Amino acid sequence: MDDVLQEIDNEVRNNKVVVYMKGTPAFPMCGFSAATVQVLREIGVPFKAIDILADPEKRDAIKSYSNWPTIPQVYVGGKFIGGCDIVREMHARGELAPLLRAAVQS
Amino acid sequence: MTTPEDIRRTLEAALPGARVSVEDTTGGGDHFEVEVAAAAFAGKTLVEQHQLVYGALGTLMPRIHALSLRTTAA
Repeated sequence: MDDVLQEIDNEVRNNKVVVYMKGTPAFPMCGFSAATVQVLREIGVPFKAIDILADPEKRDAIKSYSNWPTIPQVYVGGKFIGGCDIVREMHARGELAPLLRAAVQS
Repeated sequence: MTTPEDIRRTLEAALPGARVSVEDTTGGGDHFEVEVAAAAFAGKTLVEQHQLVYGALGTLMPRIHALSLRTTAA
């Protein structure tokens, strides 16, 4: 378990935008994951997607890593920013694009 | 099966004075849309607000397949 948490920590720190999701961006396996990827694509920043369905241990570990019980989870600049609802709400408020662009350019 | 009433009561007990609305989006007792306005959210980030709600739902949470959540500080 500690190894998985360490792996997550590395993924989150070494990629500017990371989404933990069910399925892949091309084949999302859940509406919330699909909607989250859609928002990231609309903004047009590169992101790393990690399919937690392919890794049951990581599926559990990511929830304790962020103290967040649901998937998808989005991390920007090493920090957990929320799940689908928060990502959509921040996007609707116009707050998400500047945050993502600043992280990608940093 | 979880009812909208279960969720509303649980959240109102955990967040005194909160205004809670719950909709069962499929009628199946496991997909819900929840809106919560609570004084306890003041000064908290959206992540912290949602964490309060998830924490309050406690043992109900594993039985819910999909929860769409919207929180505002009352």
